[in-house]
Amino acid sequence: MTITENNAAAQAATTTGAVPVVAGGIHVTKRDGTREPYDADRINKAIERAAAGLPDQIAITTQVASELAITLFDGITTEQLDEAAIGVAVQNVKDDPQFDMVAARLLRKVIYKRVLGGYDTELELALLHQARFPGYIRDAIEEGLLDVRLQELFDLDALAAALDHTRDDLLKYIGTVTMRNRYMITDRHRKSLEVPQYFWMRVAMGLALNEADPTGTALKFYEKISTLDYLPAGSTLVNAGTSYPQLSNCFVMQMEDDIEHIAKSVRDVMWLTKGTGGIGLSVTKLRSEGSPIRSNNTTSTGPIPFMHTIDSTLRAVSRGGKKFGALAFYMENWHLDFHQFLDLRQNSGDPYRRTRTANTAVWISDEFMKRVAADQDWYLFDPAETPDLVELVGSEFSARYAEYVALAEAGKMRTFRKMRAREQYKQILVTLQTTSHPWLTWKDTINNRALNTNTGTIHLSNLCTEICLPQDRDNISVCNLASVNLPQHLVDGKIDWDRMEQSVRLAVRQLDNLVDITLSSVPESEFANQENRAVGLGVMGFTDITERLGLAYESEEAYDLIDQIVEFVSYHAIDASADLARERGSYNNFAGSGWSQGKVPFDTIAEVEADRGVPVTVNRVTRLDWDTLRDKVKGGIRNATLMAVAPTASIGLVAGTTPGFDPQFSQIFSRNTSSGKFLEVNTNLVKDLQALGIWDEVKDQLLAAQGDLSKVDGVPQHLVDVYKTSFQLDPHAFLEVAARAQKWIDQAISRNIYLEDRDVDKMMELYAFAWEKGVKTTYYLHMKPRHTAEQSTVRVNKTENINRTGSASGRAAGGAASGGARKGFGGARKGFGGAKAAAAPAADAPVAEAQAEEAPSTTAAAAPASASRGFGGFGGAKKPAPATTEIPAVTDGEAVATTPEEKAPAAAPASVLSSIAAQAFATAPQEQPEVPPVTLPEPAPEPAAQQLSTSAAAPSSAALLDVVETVASGDTEMIGGVACPVDPMERLQCESCQ
Amino acid sequence: MAILGSGVQDGLLLKPVTYQWAMDLYDQAVANTWFPNEIQLGEDLADFKKMTEDEKHALLHLISYFNPNELLVNKALAFGVYPYINAPEGHLYLAKQMWEEANHCMTFEYILETFPIDRDKAYSAHVDVPSMAAKEEFESKFIKRMTEDTLDISTTEGKKDFIRNLIAYNIILEGIWFYSGFMVALSFRQRNLLRNFGSLMDWIIRDESLHLQFGINLILTVLEENEDLQDEEFAEEIRGMILHAVEMEEAYNRDMFPRGILGLNADYVNQYVKYLTDRRLEELGFEPEFNVANPAKWMAAANDTLQLVNFFEQQNTSYEVNAQATKTS
Repeated sequence: MTITENNAAAQAATTTGAVPVVAGGIHVTKRDGTREPYDADRINKAIERAAAGLPDQIAITTQVASELAITLFDGITTEQLDEAAIGVAVQNVKDDPQFDMVAARLLRKVIYKRVLGGYDTELELALLHQARFPGYIRDAIEEGLLDVRLQELFDLDALAAALDHTRDDLLKYIGTVTMRNRYMITDRHRKSLEVPQYFWMRVAMGLALNEADPTGTALKFYEKISTLDYLPAGSTLVNAGTSYPQLSNCFVMQMEDDIEHIAKSVRDVMWLTKGTGGIGLSVTKLRSEGSPIRSNNTTSTGPIPFMHTIDSTLRAVSRGGKKFGALAFYMENWHLDFHQFLDLRQNSGDPYRRTRTANTAVWISDEFMKRVAADQDWYLFDPAETPDLVELVGSEFSARYAEYVALAEAGKMRTFRKMRAREQYKQILVTLQTTSHPWLTWKDTINNRALNTNTGTIHLSNLCTEICLPQDRDNISVCNLASVNLPQHLVDGKIDWDRMEQSVRLAVRQLDNLVDITLSSVPESEFANQENRAVGLGVMGFTDITERLGLAYESEEAYDLIDQIVEFVSYHAIDASADLARERGSYNNFAGSGWSQGKVPFDTIAEVEADRGVPVTVNRVTRLDWDTLRDKVKGGIRNATLMAVAPTASIGLVAGTTPGFDPQFSQIFSRNTSSGKFLEVNTNLVKDLQALGIWDEVKDQLLAAQGDLSKVDGVPQHLVDVYKTSFQLDPHAFLEVAARAQKWIDQAISRNIYLEDRDVDKMMELYAFAWEKGVKTTYYLHMKPRHTAEQSTVRVNKTENINRTGSASGRAAGGAASGGARKGFGGARKGFGGAKAAAAPAADAPVAEAQAEEAPSTTAAAAPASASRGFGGFGGAKKPAPATTEIPAVTDGEAVATTPEEKAPAAAPASVLSSIAAQAFATAPQEQPEVPPVTLPEPAPEPAAQQLSTSAAAPSSAALLDVVETVASGDTEMIGGVACPVDPMERLQCESCQ
Repeated sequence: MAILGSGVQDGLLLKPVTYQWAMDLYDQAVANTWFPNEIQLGEDLADFKKMTEDEKHALLHLISYFNPNELLVNKALAFGVYPYINAPEGHLYLAKQMWEEANHCMTFEYILETFPIDRDKAYSAHVDVPSMAAKEEFESKFIKRMTEDTLDISTTEGKKDFIRNLIAYNIILEGIWFYSGFMVALSFRQRNLLRNFGSLMDWIIRDESLHLQFGINLILTVLEENEDLQDEEFAEEIRGMILHAVEMEEAYNRDMFPRGILGLNADYVNQYVKYLTDRRLEELGFEPEFNVANPAKWMAAANDTLQLVNFFEQQNTSYEVNAQATKTS
């Protein structure tokens, strides 16, 4: 049977009811405006080619062709036809992920044709790639789009010869779309100039401009990034090799309390936004509302109106003409206007006191966490009266804060507010739950664990909460990001550590190059970048590999795995940077840094613990020979920081993996991005279910359950455990993963949190747990919606759901006995008034029949019911956990002293917080056997053996961890044969880090 | 006490709650509160410029219909439902729903005032375009009946009028006509057009899903409490109303798509209408009429799944307000 016959057959088959069979009257309008009859055969061949190599090639082709046919109309243009075919392929991904490959190839075919011209065979396509490459570079330079050095420094023919377009098949549909919409360059008329491999090569070249052998290095970078071993971050992908190489990702700045500097900050935000950077901006220093201004004898409006001004600025300056700016405001929670800061993201209220675009984060001290634990008061001050607080951290902050508190109580402060610390903590979390802001970040853990604070205090983190760099009036700190793609290093069920090491080392080299190549329009950021050369290498795809290894996200094996991987990446990143220092020199601010004292990130956990007097509850297992590295970094390191785990929300799409350390959002879900809305089905799960032969049976149930595998019948328990969605996992697991990784990371982690439970007491416990664990920052909070819209593509019958669950019928208690199933007009249908709903179901033949018929699908229908349990779930959701007690309702400031809580001390949220406090204060740190002592050891004689013995405690995951002990001896130069990477992170809103 | 009655004297005290489902729906509706100005439409304006005339026509047709009909629903509630409900929890929900309809109307106003479209034409379409006018007239007939002095809710005929109006605005207008429009509205976002308009639609659809939940609960409750409504003739009449509504919608969709746009044409949308209609029929206890497949499989991505928002790029429309309401305080 030919494809066309197949097509006709399929059409006939699906033409139940009203589907119009496309008749001959359809014409296609070609690009030149002429019309020709629609040629089904031609389209079918194109689809067939896109399905080449897939097991169900013919069936896929038939299905896409027949579904395309019903969308056609007379006069459709060839471009619309292409797009419609892609759309039809995409809508079938929910049933079979193979369609994703078809859609991706159809889209790339469009891109190839536009950029390279027509071709018929794969060989022609390969030759076109090579032949057109030098011309692409030259033309784009002529147009002013690319850096002239791309022509001057490189052997374009040699680079062209390395292009391998078959690597495009590594890209999923959403990855291809993201790459096209976000990263590839176009000419002035928005015509595409790049195919995927040109794009990778252009980026590789743009990061090798400063090398002695630019062509050779670019080839190494290309090899790594085009195979997705690691990826540069967004800004780098957008701008590398272009005539405007703003390649840095994150900018972190502090606003000073004077009008000149506020104005300058607005200007700087505009420039940094134009360059696609994501921005963190601290406003803690600004005096509070009503604070006196001496110069004109008036009072200040406080920080809020200035934040609104900057928020508007973000909308005014678009990045790359497409996206609006991205920024996070940081404020310490002792600022007198902090309660207004909390309202910035509310969806109602005075729009001039809101920031609809900018994000917010709170910068929290150990002092606050301790006061929460001990249920003490919290004082808020006007920074104009307490100007030194922003510079102080840890115990020094606590001491000074206590002095201000004493002054306040003595009536010697011009103004202050007082409230229960727990009350403010609860306010923060209630606001977080309703507006997803402010994100919680812990300043003292960050500062006390930093190796780079010899140049000053870290006053905030960045847009995505993974950066920890100091800043002041002369320094806008800058970070440059890249992420290792973990699944690319999983070969035959084992991690290929050699390949990982190569990726890490090359990524570090590329990031270091970036520092010299990037340009900024803001002198303070240029300066900070040059002086510190801060970079942040991260990883992505953690959940992807745990699934492939059959590990549950919330298992000890998974925790050990991330611990081990990040230790390895950190070790080699630091080692590579130390090697670079020997080749290129240490960074300018090296002297006095923690590195110069022979410290590595792990060593600072003990310092945090000592300063705050509360244990950091994370294990202290080590696996590698850190002592050698301690000696080595003492002699010099090239970069002030090495590690940071970015969200990788966008480059993760290109890499086709789970972002950062994120769990699977759901096993089937949609992504809403600036490129549109995409359905994502977990292909690891589909493979596992296909292997069991049950995918086709359960896929509709899975969709009806919105991707919750536990609600699907007949799935083996071990798969249910491995494939939990973000909202099913115990949220403590997110923090355990972060805590293990944070052991090794000198900066921080963009730790998304996902919650189903809306109990605020539990949130209070959860975030206190994060602080205890030594997690530096948390990021966006995703709350599971209790109610979602009625589904369209799965069977829905609200009446059945009501009857089954009783959840939407409040009469269950009283009326259940009398009721019976309600069936609307079902009673009338088969008889007169007498055969009413209460009639015995058995007598109700048609209904019984209908139910029998549905037997297989009733369970399917059950799933949506519980998914939309919005209603039924209410009782449970609202029900007070019996043991938890209330923190009194939020009230304002000074009233606190009289709050009822005093009367009921026993009712204190003891269940939650006091247990934390108990743990916090009772356990002596030295009781933890694995904990290395507070001060850093002279290298022990046999450290390796010692370390191994500790790690022997680790669970059975040893099998897959076996390579770990092959500790690299610090100074090897392993960059042989296989090319290496480049890997920045992403650009974008955090293009910076996405 | 039954749910139907003249709600004027009774029902001033909420407790004890008789119809817990109404209370639950009220709580969720409050949590779903949103405002159109949370969404910035700036990027959509650039998309609008790129759209073809046929696409712009479809969009205008849609908005021209939705805008007045959100308020028409309010009339159906105010004149035809609220006065005849005895349960205060039902009144609470209806009050919230009416605010939502107002909010939806203001959302379409916001869109109309932002996009460069012919507003006069948009405002007059519900009168000038026969297929739209027919749908409106159909609805108005039932609402009018509810306002007449001769209507006595204690009689079987009065109760039937109540059900007729309920079927007309809730099952037909909201459950079929609006829902087919939602599919068309969301189709633009699937092509990466009008994403922010799509976010507004997400919210509206979320609200409307609750309206349908309330409607079906109310219908089932009334039918259960009033055995005199269970007669075959009446059931056939209701079924006939719904099938007639499909014909009206088909004509309306042919006016929306005189030719077709990328991915959609009138036949395609009308197949979707039939698919939806079968669902509504089954929920009411009828046999399905059309037995057609859902042509819009892509609605799985557009509507059916939890969405993970890149919050830098898109407003997160999944949030809920009033966290404290979930606290036992």
